[in-house]
Amino acid sequence: MTSSDMNYLTIALPKGKLFAPAAGLLAQAGYTAAGLKEDSRKLVLVNEESKTKFIITKTSDLPTYVEYGAADIGIIGKDVLLEENKDVYELLDLKFGLCRMMMAVPAGLRREKLTDYTHMRVATKYPHTAEQFFYSAGMQMEIIKLNGSIELAPIVGLAEVIVDLVETGRTLKENNLVEIAQIHSSTARFIANRVSYKMKFARINALVERLKTLIESEKLQ
Amino acid sequence: MSRQNFAPQIPYGTRDFLPRDARRKREVETTIAGLFARWGYDEVVTPTFEYLDALTTGVGGDIQHNMFKFLDKNNRILALRPDMTAPIARVAATRLTQEEWPLRLFYLTNVFRYEQAQAGRQCEFYQAGVELMGSPGAGADAEIIALAAEAMLDAGLKQFQISLGQVEFINGIMDEYELGATERQQLKTCMVSRDLVGLSEMVAASRLCAASQQLLRDIPVLHGKREILKQAYTRVNNTVSRRALDNLSEIYCLLESYGVSEYVNFDLGLIRDFDYYTGMVFEGYTPGLGFPVCGGGRYDRMLAFFGMDCPATGFALGIERLLLAMERQGLKTVGDSRGIYVAWREGMLNAAIAAAGALRSQGHMVELALHAQSAAEAEAFRQRKRFARLIYCE
Repeated sequence: MTSSDMNYLTIALPKGKLFAPAAGLLAQAGYTAAGLKEDSRKLVLVNEESKTKFIITKTSDLPTYVEYGAADIGIIGKDVLLEENKDVYELLDLKFGLCRMMMAVPAGLRREKLTDYTHMRVATKYPHTAEQFFYSAGMQMEIIKLNGSIELAPIVGLAEVIVDLVETGRTLKENNLVEIAQIHSSTARFIANRVSYKMKFARINALVERLKTLIESEKLQ
Repeated sequence: MSRQNFAPQIPYGTRDFLPRDARRKREVETTIAGLFARWGYDEVVTPTFEYLDALTTGVGGDIQHNMFKFLDKNNRILALRPDMTAPIARVAATRLTQEEWPLRLFYLTNVFRYEQAQAGRQCEFYQAGVELMGSPGAGADAEIIALAAEAMLDAGLKQFQISLGQVEFINGIMDEYELGATERQQLKTCMVSRDLVGLSEMVAASRLCAASQQLLRDIPVLHGKREILKQAYTRVNNTVSRRALDNLSEIYCLLESYGVSEYVNFDLGLIRDFDYYTGMVFEGYTPGLGFPVCGGGRYDRMLAFFGMDCPATGFALGIERLLLAMERQGLKTVGDSRGIYVAWREGMLNAAIAAAGALRSQGHMVELALHAQSAAEAEAFRQRKRFARLIYCE
């Protein structure tokens, strides 16, 4: 069944770090389903009472589900939105999941100016973000797309530079990498499909208002 | 060499319409062309490719990046049309100036955009649309919106919604708040990319008063029926925005007479991809399709770029999107049923030709067997190919 059923609201949640806080926040707002866990075997979880469906997707795929309307709304990091560049409504900054997109290099390779790194090889999970950043800095780089363990690349000589998401900076330190520049900082965002936001406006907007109140009250505590 | 290695590919963003899809497409197109004609619109056909300058005149810069371009013998840049509004504006302003205006024109054709393929939109896709040129009034806008609603209804959609906005509403607010060029650009970028978080951050960083900040944040949620117009009216203090709201109210009144107002919602934050709109804008949505099925609006300045200062309004509807939505909603178009199979015993071909001819002249769809068959073979073939009837000549 697709989201063509107007009575249901389909919510996409990402696997990984954002899952628990996202599911928790939605539950506080009254949106949850039995068995809603990150490692749920079921692909679609339905709450018949509140007419809600949940799907759990790979992080980088989530904006695609929402763009096509397979899910009406979703929660995803700004970093993924910037990388995937999909046509979705970004309705609310949920304030959790704070992390920074950083450019880093092995301590031994540290240079004076940013442009001194020109033409080096960059390993990253975020090729689009990295390219945009270096382009706007006037630097030509060789971008190597990897799917994980980015810190490994400079150690084994696959690349000199990395662009990666940093939460605490511990992983960088452990691998003797130093931060050179912050590309952007990111938090979780509440997004909606452009048609769903119009056709299910009342329901989605009420949820946005509810989430706003919850975030505000959390800030005060 | 295996067959798989040999199969030739077609380029990214193109598709074949196999018989069943082609038949559904033809049916929907015939229905819509008939509707446009009944509303007094004349069809025009323009070249598939034109000079790049002609296609980008009055359209704004961005679309250029998404056009398929190539060179002619003299190295002039040609491009495949990305949209039919500019070609029709060119035709109207240069070739039809002696006609009795207002002009009502329609088209039903393929357009080309070099971009990421979306649901129901490849790089080459089909559009049906109308342009009504020569009238600045709400009457023309209402006719266009009503026609868009009728097109969706006639095609067979049962559930859809039209969101109606007015670009002058936002322009008036930006003038009232005396926003500078950079701020305007930022605001527009946020709205076009639907980044309401960015909008909110940008507004918070501005020097505007709290009420003004709140209104800018609220524009995207000014969404609903008539009460939204009243609410918006009290929140703006400039004539441009208020005129825009009056214009919407007037259009809505006429849509009530057309009997389609139940499908229409106001959406004052509605932003369309093209820059050329100057007045009301609208989009049509239907469940199960994450993208608009149709859209349009008023574009009063484009014809001036072609040498004729004249107001215009129109809309386009995506044929593949319409077909996809209908399939997803389980709405069957006709076209799956086949007609009559005429088969024949050895030596009876002449009789079969005569029988087929008679049936065809009555308007039936008839397929004539190409070789002699026994009655049992003919019946088996009829079932396999799903003909409604078998006529066996013996």
